[in-house]
Amino acid sequence: MPLPPLSRKLSAEDAAHLLRRTAFGATDAGIRALVGRPAHEVTRDLLSFGDERAPGNPFDPSSAATPGAGIQLTRAAWLYELFYGPHPLRELLALAWSNHFVIGTDKVRNVPMLTAYLGLLRRHSATTDFARFTLEVAQSPAMLRYLDNDQNRKGRPNENFSRELLELFTTGIGPYTEDDVREGARALTGWSFEGGRGNQNFLQEARFLFRPGQHDTGQKTYLGQSGNLGGEDVIRLAATHPATAPFIARKLHRALVADEPDPAAVAASAETFRRTHGNVRAVLEELLASEHFYSRRAAIIRGPVAFITGAVRTLGQPKLEAKQILTLAQTAGRMGQLLLEPDTVKGWDGGREWINDTTLLLRMQVAASLTTAGTAPKLEAQPSDLALLGTERSPLAGVTDGLNPKQRLYLTLISPEFGLA
Amino acid sequence: MTVDRRDFLKYSALAVAATSGMPGFLARAAAQAATQPAAGGKTLVVIQLTGGNDGLNTLVPYSNGAYYAARPNIAIPRKDVLTLTPDLGMHPSLKPLMPLWESGHLAWMENVGYPNPNRSHFASMAIWHTADPTQAQAEGWIGRVAEKIGDPFCASNLGGTTPQALRASEFSLPSIDRVDSFQVRLPAGLDGAFERLLNLPREGEADYLGRAARQMVANTREVQANVAKYRPGAKYPEGRFGLNLQDAARLIAAGTGQRVLYVSLGGFDTHAGQRAEQDELLATLASGLAAFQADLEAQGLADRVIVMGFSEFGRRVAENGSAGTDHGQGSVMFALGQGVKGGIHGDSPDLENLADGDIRYRQDFRGVYAGALTHWLGLNARDILRGDFAGPEWVA
Repeated sequence: MPLPPLSRKLSAEDAAHLLRRTAFGATDAGIRALVGRPAHEVTRDLLSFGDERAPGNPFDPSSAATPGAGIQLTRAAWLYELFYGPHPLRELLALAWSNHFVIGTDKVRNVPMLTAYLGLLRRHSATTDFARFTLEVAQSPAMLRYLDNDQNRKGRPNENFSRELLELFTTGIGPYTEDDVREGARALTGWSFEGGRGNQNFLQEARFLFRPGQHDTGQKTYLGQSGNLGGEDVIRLAATHPATAPFIARKLHRALVADEPDPAAVAASAETFRRTHGNVRAVLEELLASEHFYSRRAAIIRGPVAFITGAVRTLGQPKLEAKQILTLAQTAGRMGQLLLEPDTVKGWDGGREWINDTTLLLRMQVAASLTTAGTAPKLEAQPSDLALLGTERSPLAGVTDGLNPKQRLYLTLISPEFGLA
Repeated sequence: MTVDRRDFLKYSALAVAATSGMPGFLARAAAQAATQPAAGGKTLVVIQLTGGNDGLNTLVPYSNGAYYAARPNIAIPRKDVLTLTPDLGMHPSLKPLMPLWESGHLAWMENVGYPNPNRSHFASMAIWHTADPTQAQAEGWIGRVAEKIGDPFCASNLGGTTPQALRASEFSLPSIDRVDSFQVRLPAGLDGAFERLLNLPREGEADYLGRAARQMVANTREVQANVAKYRPGAKYPEGRFGLNLQDAARLIAAGTGQRVLYVSLGGFDTHAGQRAEQDELLATLASGLAAFQADLEAQGLADRVIVMGFSEFGRRVAENGSAGTDHGQGSVMFALGQGVKGGIHGDSPDLENLADGDIRYRQDFRGVYAGALTHWLGLNARDILRGDFAGPEWVA
């Protein structure tokens, strides 16, 4: 059964909720513009993005002098896009996919590889073909390098990518055996890349390369299928396995609906994923226009990037200096979310994991830097309670009454209510 | 120090009554603890090597031909091994730990693992964190220590994110990224409003965030009231691991009262080019721990602290085609400190009788945990590990 759609037209609080979830938040004007419109129509608009980018991005990774600088600039350029780009939902989904098909800048230190990987996540952020997306990720030099499949050779298999393909990218733990991991590794032998190796070549382009001489052409059995399987077969079998649908559906619910997703709603999305042969866009269109989506308010603890981006977008996208953006990218890292470098290949667990003493202290610092500090940006308008908290009647009124506007903003940004989406 | 501590606990208990900032069971236990003296002032420091440290290249079976046969490219050559026994020696990068070995304060536990090993990093790490191979528990074993002791501040992680080991049923124990920045700095004029903000009644996740913030305020106050007492007694190596260890020493010297401190070192997932990667990581590990130990000695605290180290699994015996190793099963644990009975606990791994290419475990890690819980922290290990587990007598 597909998820029942929302029958009413969007109220102001519905619109605020939708934009907190799909755009990190918005200004009062942005929210009001959606009021009275049908959910399915608004959703379709939100999901119809091209490859337009934020104008005037001051960060150019290809101008970096060292690999480390290239990585910093890549992060800052992405944060700029998150803050000011025309398609926040595309960036939000790319962020979610970077937390699914994980690579890390601890190993991937080549700038074009990172740029290409990020481009891939954006292009497929609301993909109509999950198996195709998985294949392109698997053949991206960034992933080949990160999980060592470029070193996977006939007779000398390297199981790293083969294992994570099943455990983390498609079926999840359970439906496969250790033999599937081994056989998958055999089928993926010979997938490598050329160019961009070594510290010296951090600006050199890299591209996927199949090395037939290193490919194991023997018989294999993988997820119950036998034959002379190649890498493409293994990716397709894993990505279209019945267990992949609920695994991916749950990830989408984690990103957009709740830290603790509702199993029945996940099952409905999984069914749509299966029925449409891995059409993520179709799943999202249904989900974001559903009654279920609108009934789960304040159910996601904003992660560091969502917290910072949410603050900037809610404050009306004030102009920040390049240096401030570089610093914020680092700060997000100290809060546990360094862009393009999750702690492990499993990615960030999120939810309550984002919250501890240190990260709460850093949220307070970020809030001060955007509001009360001497270097805080100038705001064109004071954000309304609707924009800040998603409700027209602030639950914080008794606390913020009598404070000046900057103090009110500061306290609101560090409130538990702002910390949730 | 004991008096301060008891006052703090009393204060916490009162604060809890006023704001219910802590889960109920902890509030009750904290009120109880306020009437009991702190027990012994002993601290356990847990070191997590994240990614699956290769035990065979850490504690090397250098007299075993099968070891060299399985690892033509990445074995540690016999001439480089730091000899400990006629059969075993340490990786050369562990040289800073040799003085501890020689003084009988470094222990290695051989063939440590658990039943039905899981080769997923994350499932396996969760098993070590929860001390539950069935993966049914969500709470961590150190979270359960906190429940047992009844003090939400009795264990802390040094680093940015709290490992599952420190999770209790309704909250997580503190993570302290850097001691220096572990303090609330409010913009002027907001003290009263901040307090009112935290104390608004809330439900659901908002209530969780409110409680976490109130607990954070209490934790930072506790740390800042004490840390100024510390003066470094050793030079720590550069980098995150050294900083975290130094902060651990600082908290211990300051008498902030944690019984368990937790520090992680990541990067051990050596599927390719293992020698370069692991050699460097083990050097970081050893130089950091040697500095930590020297610092504790300078502070006169070396008899009150022991270190216990683990990784989620070891790696396969045979090297792979990329001069690395894939995920395996059993591995080694280590422990050090004046309260540790040095030496090798357990037999060298049998490389002729493998399980699926991996070392078979012979010692359940929960038996090693039990040693620390019972003989060092003076707790009932059975309550915390939910069963009886025998292990080597590695605590002196």
